[in-house]
Amino acid sequence: MRLGLKGRFVAFVMATTIAFGVVLTALAVRTQNDRLRHELVERGKLLTTVIAANATDAMALLEVRELRRLLAEVLDQENVLEAVAFDEDGRVYTDGTLENPSKHTPIGEAERRHTIASDALLVEFSGDVMTVTRPVWLGGRPLGGVRLRYSLAGLARDQAVLARRTAMVGAVFTVLAVLAAALLTEAVTRPLKEVIRATRSLARGEAVPTLRVRTSDEVGELAAAFNEMTRRLRETTVSRDAVDRVLGTMGECLIVIGPDGTIDRVNKAVSKLAGLPEDELVGRPCDELIGTPEGFRSLIDAVSAEGPVHGLETEMLVKDGAAVPMMVSVAPMAQSSDRPQAFVVVASDLSERVRIERQKDEFVAMIHHEVRGPLTAVHGALGLLAGGVAGELSDRARGLVEIALRNSERMERLVDDLLAARKLDTGKMDFRMEDADLMPLVEQAMEATSSYGTKFDVQFDLDGRVEGARVRVDPDRLIQVLTNVLSNAVRFSPAGETVTVSVTRREKNLRVSVVDRGPGIPEEFRDQVFEKFAQAGPDDWRHQSGTGLGMSISRAIMEELGGDIFFESEMDVGTTFFVDLPEA
Amino acid sequence: MARLGLALLAAVLLAPGCQQTPNEPAPKEPARTSGATGVLSVGSVSLNPGREYETFRPFADYLASRLGEVGIGKGRVVVADSLSKMVADLQRGSVDLFIDSPFPVAFVCDRAGSRPILRRWKRGSDVYHSVIFVRADSGIASADDFRGRIIAFGEPFSTTGFLLPKAALASSGLRLVNYEDPAATIQPDHVGYVFSNDAENTMFWVLKKKVAAGAVNADYFEALAGSRIEELRIIRRTEEVPRNVVCVRDGLDPELIRAVEEVLLAMDEDPQGRSVLSGFEQTARFDRFPGGSADQLGRVMELLAYVEEDLGR
Repeated sequence: MRLGLKGRFVAFVMATTIAFGVVLTALAVRTQNDRLRHELVERGKLLTTVIAANATDAMALLEVRELRRLLAEVLDQENVLEAVAFDEDGRVYTDGTLENPSKHTPIGEAERRHTIASDALLVEFSGDVMTVTRPVWLGGRPLGGVRLRYSLAGLARDQAVLARRTAMVGAVFTVLAVLAAALLTEAVTRPLKEVIRATRSLARGEAVPTLRVRTSDEVGELAAAFNEMTRRLRETTVSRDAVDRVLGTMGECLIVIGPDGTIDRVNKAVSKLAGLPEDELVGRPCDELIGTPEGFRSLIDAVSAEGPVHGLETEMLVKDGAAVPMMVSVAPMAQSSDRPQAFVVVASDLSERVRIERQKDEFVAMIHHEVRGPLTAVHGALGLLAGGVAGELSDRARGLVEIALRNSERMERLVDDLLAARKLDTGKMDFRMEDADLMPLVEQAMEATSSYGTKFDVQFDLDGRVEGARVRVDPDRLIQVLTNVLSNAVRFSPAGETVTVSVTRREKNLRVSVVDRGPGIPEEFRDQVFEKFAQAGPDDWRHQSGTGLGMSISRAIMEELGGDIFFESEMDVGTTFFVDLPEA
Repeated sequence: MARLGLALLAAVLLAPGCQQTPNEPAPKEPARTSGATGVLSVGSVSLNPGREYETFRPFADYLASRLGEVGIGKGRVVVADSLSKMVADLQRGSVDLFIDSPFPVAFVCDRAGSRPILRRWKRGSDVYHSVIFVRADSGIASADDFRGRIIAFGEPFSTTGFLLPKAALASSGLRLVNYEDPAATIQPDHVGYVFSNDAENTMFWVLKKKVAAGAVNADYFEALAGSRIEELRIIRRTEEVPRNVVCVRDGLDPELIRAVEEVLLAMDEDPQGRSVLSGFEQTARFDRFPGGSADQLGRVMELLAYVEEDLGR
């Protein structure tokens, strides 16, 4: 049978009280026993001594009747079993009775010897009997003695009575203690039961009333703590519900992986994508759901050394056996120190992105094949027209042809930039890296852009040189970058201004600086300078002659070359672009 | 010691009589016979009146319950602490019946004119006698050897402890002289005697050589000697006398005496009477003196002459 707190407490109190009572009774009985025994012994000694003193004359005069009378009185005393007076030879005079059956019988030899040797008391114990012998001496010689035998059985009776009384008192106290314990326990357990009921209600998800805090003791503290716990639990539950809703709502897949590599939890996006309910996914090895990222034996290995990783491309293996391209981020989940490490995987479905990329590729291919070819032909034809191959044009016709020619050139650059940007995005652009002198490449770029500057009445000035500076680059791509920067400088420089170009060495880098005296780049546009299709202002038509892809392509190329491109700009003063390259 | 015994005897003789000792418990109301109002008083002498009263009370009640036809409706017990008081009670008429051993009865008959009527078989005996004994190693071969020595008697009014042995020795020509100290020097032609006041005292005095000889009831001799009987030698046995005697006071109604005699003589034939007799010091029965009371108690009266000096006459 399993006892509750109350039962155990009552049982404990009862057992303790009974044990205490038993020990107390034993001690009381023992103490009383010692006291009674001592009293009895002392009483026996005293009585025997008194009788012996009173018997001295009678013994000296051989007044046996007087001895008998004395001993008869002794026999009336409580606990006295036997009383005899005996002579110096150890023969009994009288036992205090008229019949006197003991007369002439010898007492014990030890008592006789003691009697003739000393007048001291001799006390002996045998079982429940105490024997006290008092020798009677007169004039320095023994006359005999008096021997009294006492029953200690009365002592046992007294002990039994005492034990019974103590036991009764103990029983009463036990009952009172048990009642008190029951009341006390009830006082303690009643609030606890309320807590238990409230806890069960809480477990069932029912509404939990606020417990009343009756006292300021531990029980009151428990009730208060429970109230606080339920309050926080409500808050936590609300938060968790919110988190669950967020997780259920988010389009990203969220997977919690346990230390053993099995799935602990997934959100609805995972279930939806994998085509399996959550309970079928939980417990599975994560490798059955997510393919191993390239370069790792498992998904978890990706985070073991380097910490969180992002942007891993892999696949999710869904129900019908298909593989959905995913981009995953894996991070170890913060746990308490005594719990093994878990991992959180956030995966994005790349299917749409892949589809878009494919469409982009198709679009670019279409541009490459369907637009650039005809455009080249148009541009060539317009050039021929403008060159008078088809005859002298009227001024009006020449003007129109030149407009068409400029726009076709612009269209060609736009197409070329689009193709270049796409190649950079898809990593399909070829780089032929080699060690080369920097200065010739800079001069070559200036040369290539000079005609464009002339068109806008802008001059180039090479202000600083670093002779013999070598870099490891794809020269064509570097020239493309420098041409872009120089073209930009031309476009934003006022007519008649000079764009200053200089090459300097900065520690292990070589820096090409291109300074214009243009209006400067507006503050709000500076972050977008290297974005695709970014242009500062639509006001100046010259500005619109850019494709909006040049700076984006330039940055992508510089990243591939291992260098950097950035700028400083001050409104109404000008802008300086820096192209940094590691010195070879 | 002898002087102490004589002093005690004198006190017995001279003390005023009384019907009941002050510490005697109040008698219970005895059975009454319808219409009878007379009271029959039964007397005894004892220094323990309470115990004596309890011993005699059932007997007195039984007796009274059987005497309704002679006007007795109530029995009463009177315990005196001395023979002199009992003599006075008998003379005064406050005691009707007195029951005791032959020596006291003879004494009150002599002093108060009482008359013995029946013999009581106390402790189952109709008669008893005394033995005079010495230590076997004393060198005493006969009573003649008592000269110059001391003999211990019991109580001064004891029949077997004093009257019979003293009379026996005196009648054989020995001159007995009372002493108080057993260690006193006795003239060679005298036999000294002391009162031990108790048969056990007498026995131990002889055994412990405090006295040369002693005299006790022959019925108790063996019991008193116990395991040491071999150490003793009986020198003489006295004549036998009735064990116990019932006497009536002088002047008691003869019809009542007759009725008392009838009841007592038939008492052992009545179950209730036997029960009372058993509790009355193991009395077997009451009977008439063989040869008549005058013959039996007359001999005892004769022996009184040997103790006259002790009786203070």
